[in-house]
Amino acid sequence: MKRALSIVMLVVMFAVLVTACAPKPEPAAAPAPEATPAAAEQPAAEKKLKIAFAYQDLETEFWVAGHKAIVETLKAKGIEVIEFNANEDANKQLEQVNDAIAQKVDGIIIIPQDGESAVAIGEACNSAGIPFGVFNRPPSNKDAKALVAVADNVTISAKAMEHMALEARKVFEKTGKKVKPLVMVGDLGDPNAVGRYQGFKNVYEKNKDIFTEYIEVPTKWDSNTALANLKSAMAANKDVGLLFCGSDFLYPVIKSVLEPLGKWQKIGDPNHIIMGAVDGDMTAGKLMDEGYVDATAVQDLYYEAELILTGMLEAIEKGEKTPEKWMDDPGFALTQANMGEMKMRMWGNKLRQEKGEL
Amino acid sequence: MFLKGSPTERNKSDVKDLFVKVLLSEYFIVFFCLLIFVSLMPVTPHIASRANINNIMSNLWPLFIIAIGQTVVLIVAGIDLSQTSIIAITSVVGAAIMTSKADPTLFEKSPLWGWFLTESGGPLAGEPAAIYAAIFVMILIGVGIGCFNGFFIHKFKMPPFMVTLVSQMLFSALAIYLTKSENIIGLPKNFKAIGSGSIMKIIPYSMIFAIVVAVLAAILLNKTVLGKWLYLVGSNPKASAVIGVPTGKVIIFAYAFSGFCAAMGSVLLSARLIAGRPTLGQTMLMDVVGAAVIGGTSLFGGKGKVSWTLFGALFFVILANALNMMKLPFYVVDMAKGIVIIIAVAFDVLRIEIKRRTNVM
Repeated sequence: MKRALSIVMLVVMFAVLVTACAPKPEPAAAPAPEATPAAAEQPAAEKKLKIAFAYQDLETEFWVAGHKAIVETLKAKGIEVIEFNANEDANKQLEQVNDAIAQKVDGIIIIPQDGESAVAIGEACNSAGIPFGVFNRPPSNKDAKALVAVADNVTISAKAMEHMALEARKVFEKTGKKVKPLVMVGDLGDPNAVGRYQGFKNVYEKNKDIFTEYIEVPTKWDSNTALANLKSAMAANKDVGLLFCGSDFLYPVIKSVLEPLGKWQKIGDPNHIIMGAVDGDMTAGKLMDEGYVDATAVQDLYYEAELILTGMLEAIEKGEKTPEKWMDDPGFALTQANMGEMKMRMWGNKLRQEKGEL
Repeated sequence: MFLKGSPTERNKSDVKDLFVKVLLSEYFIVFFCLLIFVSLMPVTPHIASRANINNIMSNLWPLFIIAIGQTVVLIVAGIDLSQTSIIAITSVVGAAIMTSKADPTLFEKSPLWGWFLTESGGPLAGEPAAIYAAIFVMILIGVGIGCFNGFFIHKFKMPPFMVTLVSQMLFSALAIYLTKSENIIGLPKNFKAIGSGSIMKIIPYSMIFAIVVAVLAAILLNKTVLGKWLYLVGSNPKASAVIGVPTGKVIIFAYAFSGFCAAMGSVLLSARLIAGRPTLGQTMLMDVVGAAVIGGTSLFGGKGKVSWTLFGALFFVILANALNMMKLPFYVVDMAKGIVIIIAVAFDVLRIEIKRRTNVM
């Protein structure tokens, strides 16, 4: 009896597999996708658009604010948003996107775990003919067609670093001693981290006359890794005079390492370390107001969200199934020198204002 | 209320008998999967679509293969926590062998740089045999780590939990060290096909991999003397030693087989993501052990089947898929997953208790 039941179950499972995996019958005279805009097939009032938003995690202020901007904007437009959180697992994110494809969503926007997984996920979306968008963290190559909204990380990092180099030059001229820089590098599998590192290096190379060799501290975009590595680096290099970090979210880590060493000091204090980072979150805004931080490379989060949403909705409207467009957010650098005019352009300060902190 | 032997009473009795039969059946978890699947069909119609069933199946195969290895280890009353690190280390080594490019910015600080990995890729970049060689090396490493685990567990009588936990840390760290935590891309197109391609667009390669491993494991467990030894060692290691079973070799074999399965799973996962990733599989352990245990394999050894593991893996894959399909807020998904798993485990405990009482009576 058991044997018979096993055989029956195996046959049923195999039948399901074969049915599932069999090629889909092609429609007899399916019109070209580009020729049949989704909007034309069905009046917008009748068809509610469905967009899947799959993110790697919501660990930092930047991702939380980006998530909020995207989800709330889509919902305000009457679009159904299906959310997936991959908990930093690239394979899980791929499976989630495949599930979204099976639900026949109209578009898929992701914040990928890294540039490489964005390519694999993009190829799955391309094969399914579903417009694919990437927010802020770009694919590592252009093998998959995608709408990509990304900050010009090299330029904004360089702009912030230029201000920091000017401050370092003042120290050099005053003391006659070269300044020792330390750079906290993100996950180099993330093109954003590579760009930010490059921006730092570009300015460093131009100002080698005032800098000693720089110390590189890997963070892997992980607080614990950053803490351990920064502690070791500071223990071995007590004379660090400039610190550039790949992301604002690591400021609490930096403070926890520098404070016991007496190096967490405001601008003007002889023990102040010239400091700057990238993103433009609320913490950075507060620290700049308080005078601990010299410069912030700001990604215009709301502009990037607008770019990706506009691109996605336009592609859906036109019936484009594999749209491809890389859209740059020029960003800017907020420094102690331009705080008066630029302060409220930073998204972190806008959030602080919303919360009544400003 | 009802007269004894009346049709209504008989119907009630039949329903109760059927319920008990389902509960006691070794296919209970399949019925549970079907229950989840069917009960969600009215609210999420896409769950039964061909595309979604295809998804479920493609997610199933890697987990199934890895869980088969875990099952064999559980049968000998062990546990293999190092499977995730085997997935990671084999993924990066296999990718390093066959990749056709490596960015010096990312890899120049890797200990592999210059002699193994260069700007033009790995040692077999562009070679037709690169994929086969890479898979062979991946399997070799998986089996090697399995033997390492088995040796320490047998020779020094160390707890499997500790040995494999240490292996997990050691080889995960090694994978990260070798690549400086970078992903290795530029893998051959044919390798990618292993993860997402199929024969005549009907039978996925990943399914073939899984069936081959499953059949091998099933033959091993059911048709060979070694299989009988595995169950004996798991049930009572002292007694099995007394009757002449080479317990040490059997334990080492079980862990080596687990390593082999983890390496095979790594081949499929790396091919799916088209990269060698030092963090690959890091979050899979719960699903792997869970698939084997919920399928019916005992944590105390001596009991387990390949078909049960298939059902357990199916349960985990269907559950994850169903939760994704239900459009739940992301923070609810993991809570719901936990609740459903605890319900499944509670049913499992209940049926074991019923079986025990039935046997006693």
